[in-house]
Amino acid sequence: MNGPLKFHWQPELQRSSLVVGWGVDATKLGAKVINYLNRKLGGQSFCEIEPVEFFPLGGITIEDDLVQFPESKFYSYPGKNLVVFSGPPPGYQWYKFLNLILDVAENYCHVQELHTIGGMISLWAHTAPRELMGIFNSPELKEALSHYRLATGLDYETPPGQRPTLNSFLLWAAKRRNIPGVNLWVPIPFYLVPVDDPKAQRRILEFLNQRFDLGIDFSDLDEEIEQQNQIIAEMRHSFPHIDESISMLESHLMPSEEESQRLVIETEKFFREKRY
Amino acid sequence: MGIILYKEPKLEKPDMVACWPGIANIGVLAIDTLRGQIGAEELGEIESLDFFYPRRVIIKAGVLEDLEFPSSKFYYKRFDSKDLIIFIGEEQPADGGRMYAEGIKAYQMADLVLDVAERFGCHRIYTSGAAVSLTHHALKPRVWAVTSRDDLNKEVRGHDNTILMSEIEGTVDGGSITGLNGLLLGLAKKRGFEAICLMGEIPDYLSRAPFPYPRASKSVLEILASFLRIEIDYGALDKMSAQIDDIIEGMYEEFSSDIRERLDQRKSIAQAKPETITEEDGKWIKEHIDELFKKGDSGDERPS
Repeated sequence: MNGPLKFHWQPELQRSSLVVGWGVDATKLGAKVINYLNRKLGGQSFCEIEPVEFFPLGGITIEDDLVQFPESKFYSYPGKNLVVFSGPPPGYQWYKFLNLILDVAENYCHVQELHTIGGMISLWAHTAPRELMGIFNSPELKEALSHYRLATGLDYETPPGQRPTLNSFLLWAAKRRNIPGVNLWVPIPFYLVPVDDPKAQRRILEFLNQRFDLGIDFSDLDEEIEQQNQIIAEMRHSFPHIDESISMLESHLMPSEEESQRLVIETEKFFREKRY
Repeated sequence: MGIILYKEPKLEKPDMVACWPGIANIGVLAIDTLRGQIGAEELGEIESLDFFYPRRVIIKAGVLEDLEFPSSKFYYKRFDSKDLIIFIGEEQPADGGRMYAEGIKAYQMADLVLDVAERFGCHRIYTSGAAVSLTHHALKPRVWAVTSRDDLNKEVRGHDNTILMSEIEGTVDGGSITGLNGLLLGLAKKRGFEAICLMGEIPDYLSRAPFPYPRASKSVLEILASFLRIEIDYGALDKMSAQIDDIIEGMYEEFSSDIRERLDQRKSIAQAKPETITEEDGKWIKEHIDELFKKGDSGDERPS
């Protein structure tokens, strides 16, 4: 018995790396990146955390006409020294839950390094480059990743009334076990949050591809980025006020709150109409 | 999950005063003022990790320096005849961003607090909180009391400005104390401690206000000091009360004249009777108070 851990099989990994993505950050970036990895690299789930101790389970939620149920799964990839965890953030017993993730990583997969993925809402335009930011739990790892085009100089304290992210909590828990780790954050333009941001996915995936030598061909994702750019161009052409708002963002100016809200709502509406 | 004691002093028949945040932080402000006034020393803490989500991360030059959790700390002070242990929980171990704890985590935490009380030989536990009442902010808040035994009720009656819950109109059949400030009382009774809860009155129309209500904290502290036979300087609480009074007055001015008139009637009677305010008026107050306080709300970053 492994308590809340349910193993389907055990991968043979040595000195591997763990990548963690949650399902609730901006545009569900973490879950999308992991779905992409699973699809491209043939990821197979070998273990899951039973939800009963960690989620309310007072019913189910429905998204896009599909039933949602908390699934917290570990994946490995044939021929790759990589283990990935994906799932929704627990509702309670956070420290126990995070330690279960690290237990699997450390005791069964011999993980040496942790990478978490997160999308953060930004006030930049979609045409701006997605600068990847790293927050580390060890200066040594920060130094080791210094050649990866990461922004690494952040000074930050949680403002009153807010809470740290679960990625910060996990990074801290890993530090207590002497597992070096990094939170990878990529900015997502606020008006793309209800839609999608394949460009942000690509930025994270590029990093992982380079770091773990995954040999991924991104042509499908590039096509998706191109399609999105075309839809936004069409939207800008059709609606001068949207073009004006995005142009302001491109000039590092902030549209009014009302204009910003309108940009979010109309972008979502335009994309929905294009897709159906 | 457990207790960390920094030291293990020999204490003489100590009482314990314990509190977690609740409405307007009436209890915590009273107990924390007591702690500061008597110069209580740190005694130990309950480990936070298993109970709480972190409250603050500190990142410097891209490196996570620290993660802070809400504290649950014990303090102690020696007096000539009877020593004192103080427990202050910075948050209740509640799930889903709620203020009040319930269920297994609440029970575990209350049990740990009483384990410390038992270890140091405490016989009596005091808790504190708020009593939402049909009173007026210009009136001195009374202190509602609930105890675990009849003889303690008699003792309570010996203290000025204190009223047993059954003596309040509309509460003859009893009431409830939400969260750990209540649960600790029940568990203390179950484990054989003498238990007393002192609740400072707060007007119903201020019960959702995002600021403390130091007038009620002072009333609680006065009674507690009387029970413990210690002298307290109330200067800091009085100063805070004056500042909060200004905020309350500003807010009160925004009520409609009709409602203000009805609420003002409460000042003229020592004990407000429920019929001085209609259900409709009460509803109006709640709705409008919420609207005013929404302006100060801030988001919760919780999980990423």
